[in-house]
Amino acid sequence: MDSNISYFFWDLLNYLINGLTQGSIYALVALGYTMVFGIIKLINFAHGEFFMIGAFIGYYCILSGMPFALAMPVAMIGSGIVAVIIERIVYRPIRHAGRIPALITALGISLFFQYAGQMIIGADPKAFPASIENKTYQFGEVYLSTSQILIVTSSIVLMLFLYWLVNFTKMGKAMRATSYNMKAAELMGIDTNKIISFTFFVGAAFAGAAGVLVGLHYGTVDPMMGMIPGLKAFVAAVLGGIGIIPGAVLGGLVLGVAENLVVGFWMATYRDAIAFTILIIILLFKPAGLLGVNRREKV
Amino acid sequence: MNPIMETQAITMRFGGLVAVNEFSMKIGANDLIGLIGPNGAGKTTIFNMITGHYLPSDGKILFNGESISGKEPAVITQGGIARTFQNIRLFKDLSVLDNIRIAGHSRLKYGLASSIFRTKAFHEEENKLRAEALELLKIMKLEHRVDSLAKNLPYGEQRRLEIARALATHPKLLLLDEPAAGMNPNETKELTGLIRWVRDHFKIAVLLIEHDMKLVMEVCESIYVVDHGELIAHGGPKDIQNNPKVIEAYLGTTEV
Amino acid sequence: MDYFLYLTQMCGIFIILAVGLNLINGMCGQFSLGHAGFWAIGAYTSAAFTVFVAPPLPGFIVLFFGCIIGFITAGIAGLIIGVPCLRLKGDYLAIATLGFGEIIRIVIMNMNSVGGPRGFTGIPQLSNLFWVYLWVVITIVVIANIVRGTHGRAIISIREDEIAAESMGINTFRYKTLAFCVGAGFAGVAGALFSHTTQFISPTNFTFMWSVIILLMIILGGMGSITGAIVGAIILTILPELLRFFGETVSQWRMVIYSIILILLMMIRPTGLFGKHEFNPLKFLKLGGKS
Repeated sequence: MDSNISYFFWDLLNYLINGLTQGSIYALVALGYTMVFGIIKLINFAHGEFFMIGAFIGYYCILSGMPFALAMPVAMIGSGIVAVIIERIVYRPIRHAGRIPALITALGISLFFQYAGQMIIGADPKAFPASIENKTYQFGEVYLSTSQILIVTSSIVLMLFLYWLVNFTKMGKAMRATSYNMKAAELMGIDTNKIISFTFFVGAAFAGAAGVLVGLHYGTVDPMMGMIPGLKAFVAAVLGGIGIIPGAVLGGLVLGVAENLVVGFWMATYRDAIAFTILIIILLFKPAGLLGVNRREKV
Repeated sequence: MNPIMETQAITMRFGGLVAVNEFSMKIGANDLIGLIGPNGAGKTTIFNMITGHYLPSDGKILFNGESISGKEPAVITQGGIARTFQNIRLFKDLSVLDNIRIAGHSRLKYGLASSIFRTKAFHEEENKLRAEALELLKIMKLEHRVDSLAKNLPYGEQRRLEIARALATHPKLLLLDEPAAGMNPNETKELTGLIRWVRDHFKIAVLLIEHDMKLVMEVCESIYVVDHGELIAHGGPKDIQNNPKVIEAYLGTTEV
Repeated sequence: MDYFLYLTQMCGIFIILAVGLNLINGMCGQFSLGHAGFWAIGAYTSAAFTVFVAPPLPGFIVLFFGCIIGFITAGIAGLIIGVPCLRLKGDYLAIATLGFGEIIRIVIMNMNSVGGPRGFTGIPQLSNLFWVYLWVVITIVVIANIVRGTHGRAIISIREDEIAAESMGINTFRYKTLAFCVGAGFAGVAGALFSHTTQFISPTNFTFMWSVIILLMIILGGMGSITGAIVGAIILTILPELLRFFGETVSQWRMVIYSIILILLMMIRPTGLFGKHEFNPLKFLKLGGKS
C-alpha cells in the first residue's frame, strides 16, 4: 500500500475511535435531555450541570480515598439526587406556567450552578486523580487507552440497562405511558409526579457518569465544564430526534465522530462550530431529527 | 350562478390516516351552508384546508374562480375568507378594540415610516380604522366593552367578538367553527338570529360547522353531512333530517 | 472619565439594548438569546470605521456615522440570522439564536485585524452623555411609535396567538423578521456608543452571559413593556455598583444573585414589574390619554 493511503487509513481509525469515545459521552448526556423532554416537553437547559456535578462528586470521592469503581456509582446517584431536588422545588411548581418561563427557569438554574460552583470551589480547573492504571494499547498504528475502553464499555452497559429499564420493566412502561399522554397515564393510576422525578434521576445519573468518565479521561474538572458539552449533547439529542431514546445515542455518536473527523482532517479551531452548524442545519431542514416524525400543531 | 368557493374532491392524508376523502362542495356568494357530522368526521380539517392551515393531499380549492390550495393562511384571509375557531382564539390580553383593529391591519396603507414619524397619513388611516372598528362593535352590540380585555368578557360575548373580529377583515366568505359551543339555549337563539343577520347585512356567504341541530336546521339553507371524512348526504334541512344515512351516522344502527 | 458619568452612560446604552430586545422577546414573543451578538457587531463595525476609515471630521459626526453603520450592519445580521431562525419556535429558536450569538463572537475572536482575543484598543472617546441619551430618546420614540401603530399591533398579535394572527391576514414571518431586525439594529447602535465610551472592546464583553443579563433586564421589568425594559435596564446597571457597598465578596457573587433572581421571578412573578403594561403618565394622573 502507498504510505500516504496507509497513514490516512490509520489516522481514520484513530479519529473514529476518538469519535466513538467522545460520541459515547455525548450520547450519555443526550439521553438525559431526551428523556426529560419526552416526558414533560421541557428542554432542561441545566442538564449540562448534572454532568459537572457528577464529575465533582467523583472527584471528591476519589480524593477521599474511594476506589474508582465505587466513586462512579456514588457520583451517579449523587447527581440524580440533586436533579430530583431541583425538579421538586423549582421545576414542578412552574410546570404549568408555559414553555418560556420553564426555559428561563432552567437557564437560571444552569447559571446558578456554574457561578455558585465558581465561587465555592474556585474557577480554576482541578486535576482529576489518576485512579485507574491508564495503559495504552497499540494495534498497528491504532492507539487505544484504558480510559477510552472504559468510556465505551460503561456507555454500552448503561445504554443496555436503559433499554431493559424502558422496555421490560413496569417502571419503564409507566415512563412510556406518561410520555405519550400524561393525563391518560394519570387516569390509569400512574403517579406521574413520581415517574417524572425518576426520569430526572436517571437522566442526571447518566450525565453524572459521563462527567466522571470525562474527568478521568481528560484529567481535569472545573465548574464551567458542563456548559459546552451540555450544549453539544443537546444538539446530539435534537440531531437524533428529541424525545426519542435511540435518537440520543445515534445523535451522540454521529456528533462525536463528525467532530473528530473535522478536527483531524481539517482544523481544530472549528471544533465547537461543528455542533452549532449541525444544529442549525437540522433545525432548518429536519427539526424532528434523524429518527423523528414531523408533528403538526393542531389548529 | 357561479359559486364563490368550491372544493373539488379534496383529500387530506396524515401519514396513513385519510381524514378527508374526496370532499366536494360549492358555496354561492350569498349562501348560508351547514357542515355537520359526528365528532372526528373531518369537519374542522376541511375548514383548515380551505383557510390554508393544511395543504390538501389531493384535489383543488377554488375561490372566486382562482385556485387557493397551498396558499398561506394570511394570503387567503386577505383574499376574502375569514374564520372563527372551535376553541376561541381571541387575543386575550389585548382590548376588544385592539382585537378588531388588528383584523383591519392588512387593509391599512401607511408604511413603517409613517408610523414612526406620525405623519398625516398615519393619523387619517388610524382614525378611519378606529371609527370603522367602533361602528362594527356597535352593530355587534359590543361597544360597551371597547376597552375591556378580551379575556374578561363573558363567554357569549367572547364568541360574538370572535365573529366580529372575523368580519373586520371584510371577508366575502365567513367560516364559523362551532360558534354555539358551550352556549345555553337563550344564547343559541340569539346566535341564530345573529348569523342570519350577518349574512344579510354584510351580503356574504357563511359556512357553518355546528353540532347544535336546532341551530343548523333553522339557519342553514343547505347542509353537507360528512362521516369518517366522506360526504354522505347533501340537501336542505328537511331532506337531511329524514335521511337514513345521516341518522345512522349519528345514532348508529341496531344491527350487530 | 468621572465614574458617575460613566455609569450613567452605561445605563443609557443598556436601556437601548433592553428596549430593542423587548421588541423581539416581549412584544413579538420570539425568544432570542443572541442579542449580545448584535451588540458586538455594532461595537466592532463602528470602531473599525472610526479607527481605520473615518475622514478627519469632527468627533460627533464620526460617531453619528458610526451609530448608523452599527444600526445597518447589525440590522442586516438580524435579517441573515432571522430568516432561518424565525421559522423555529420557542426553545428551538432560543437555542438557535444562542448558537448564532456564539458564532459571531467566535468569528470576531478569530479576526486579528480587530484585535482578535486581545481586543480592539485605541478607540477615541467620541461618545458623551448627550449623544448616548439622544439615541436613548430616538430608540424609545421609534420603537414606541412602531408599537402604537398597526405594525406594532401586528407584532403583538403574533405573541398573543400566532395562528389567530395568521387568520387575521397578518404575514407573521414578515413581522417577526421586522421586530428582529429593528431590535438588532438598535443593539448595533448601543454597540457603537459602547465602543466609543469604553475605548476598548474585546470578545469577552459580548458573551452569552451578557445576552442573559439583558434578558434579565426585560424579564425583571416585564416582557412586553417599554417602561419595564427601561426600569429593568436601570436597575441592573446600578445593582452591581450597589452590591459593591456590601463588600468585594458580595459583588463577586453577582451572577449567582442574578440567577436566583431569575428563578424567583419565574416562580413568583413571571410578569415582572410592569407586565405588558406601560406607565402612561397621562392615564396615571387620570388626565385621559388615548389607547
